[in-house]
Amino acid sequence: MSTAAATAATEALTQPATRANADSSAPVRIAVKDLNFYYGQFHGLKNVNLNFHDRQVTALIGPSGCGKSTLLRTFNRIYSLYPEQRAEGQILLDGTNILDPRVDLNDLRARVGMVFQKPTPFPMSIYDNVAFGIRLYEKLPRAELDARVESSLRKAALWDEVKDKLKQSGMGLSGGQQQRLCIARTVAQRPEVILFDEPTSALDPISTGRIEELIEQLRNEFTIAIVTHNMQQAARISQFTAFMYLGELVEFGPTNRIFMNPEKRQTQDYITGRFG
Amino acid sequence: MNAATTITPSVRQSRVRPSRRTADRMLRISCTLATVLGAIVLGSILLMLIVEGIRGLSPTLFTHPTPGPGTEGGGIANAILGSLVLTTIGIVVATPIGVMAGTFLAEYGRTSKLADVIRFLNDILLSAPSILIGLFVYTLMVRPMGTYSGWAGGVALAIIATPVIVRTTEDMLRLVPGTLREAGAALGAPASTVIRSVTWRAASSGIVTGIILALARIAGETAPLLFTALNNNSWFNANLMGGVANLPVMIYQFALSPYPNWQQLAWAGALLITLAILALSVVARVVIKPQRAR
Repeated sequence: MSTAAATAATEALTQPATRANADSSAPVRIAVKDLNFYYGQFHGLKNVNLNFHDRQVTALIGPSGCGKSTLLRTFNRIYSLYPEQRAEGQILLDGTNILDPRVDLNDLRARVGMVFQKPTPFPMSIYDNVAFGIRLYEKLPRAELDARVESSLRKAALWDEVKDKLKQSGMGLSGGQQQRLCIARTVAQRPEVILFDEPTSALDPISTGRIEELIEQLRNEFTIAIVTHNMQQAARISQFTAFMYLGELVEFGPTNRIFMNPEKRQTQDYITGRFG
Repeated sequence: MNAATTITPSVRQSRVRPSRRTADRMLRISCTLATVLGAIVLGSILLMLIVEGIRGLSPTLFTHPTPGPGTEGGGIANAILGSLVLTTIGIVVATPIGVMAGTFLAEYGRTSKLADVIRFLNDILLSAPSILIGLFVYTLMVRPMGTYSGWAGGVALAIIATPVIVRTTEDMLRLVPGTLREAGAALGAPASTVIRSVTWRAASSGIVTGIILALARIAGETAPLLFTALNNNSWFNANLMGGVANLPVMIYQFALSPYPNWQQLAWAGALLITLAILALSVVARVVIKPQRAR
């Protein structure tokens, strides 16, 4: 990241953006307490403490390997697909510790949705892709299911492009459309939290812009955590920013303050492009 | 432009030494020779098969059963039908076992020791001489039952087809990106749902291709059928408890016989089997195409 890019990041902040200011008084949706994470012997996250506020976008930034994706992947315990990975500490979702082994994983994942770096449409029709998550939990009459699929596609700003080809394969869409399809699929489950893991790093600038607008709209309904390598993106779309480095949370606060007036030297070095 | 940038190419000496050119040429010539040699062998086999086989092609092949010794005419209808039945039994038994075992290896057993052992044993079975499998089924079924039988033949073919399907199913499932499984799990789908509605679908054309290739493989197997289904000169009567005529064993027996009309029928049968396997291979290629295009 060059200093020019960092300047662009601060410019993105000073422009009269549609982005709302951080609301620190919003209730805490996810509270991370003394979280440690291990990949086998490797200590991936070290004593992370952090709050995610309701209906706010929180960006996780930091250089590659700093643990931002690792942190994101603890919120729906997707890491538990891999036996050698484990988390210690507490993550309170609405007050309940989701790291408790008694927590039903499928129930948790219905409440905490996730969108990945690479679009992951399933090899089935556009309609079935969106209905997939709904059918796992609810048996809806056809008309209601149709309505839910439509409203989800509308929320993902994809309806107008696909309404005449709902029966066609989701794999036939462009990369940006596929990513919005995945967002629609996640939204269809009516989660409380949506996790975005670098959702635009495989997309062109125009698709990226659409996804960013979409995230801004989704914030009205969902609590959002987004991992991004792109600091302008963090500055454009988030209310809160967490800067991570070597598995530790270095600094967390309202995005405006983190970018304009960071307290820690490491944060300043990173956002001005001195390393990372 | 200034003078420094205009160097005439002809002034520069080639930096490639002559010995390197020679080595390059030698390698290219030996590779070409080897390919031509292989093609000639394969080509002459096919040519002989076509020339000899076409002479024996006639409608009676498909309408008459194999003739008795010293009898003129006759066809191989019983052997064709028997081969169809035996390979069908083989593939119907092998497909569910193979696909399930391949799924276990690729999806559930990724990190388990058990899966490593199964994968190793499967690879051994994959390359086991087929005559061994014939002897195995002979001991297991033919001797206790006191008769050669169509069932024993079907089982022997299933044992040969299963490891092929296990292997291709596992390989095809491993090609499905892990993020697709994560995406399924992230929606709260249990592993079984993700496998049924996502990974199997993503790998379906590859899995089907594996099944077709297994079918092509067992269609021409002779050794396991010699010990199990053997043969039957009468018209096929749907009795799988007795010997069942089939193309490979018919070819083996008739080709070695002293009767010219039997030898001719063996050629015709060999041509038919080759055409069938060719057709299956073509189908397999067509099936796998859409997946490559993605």
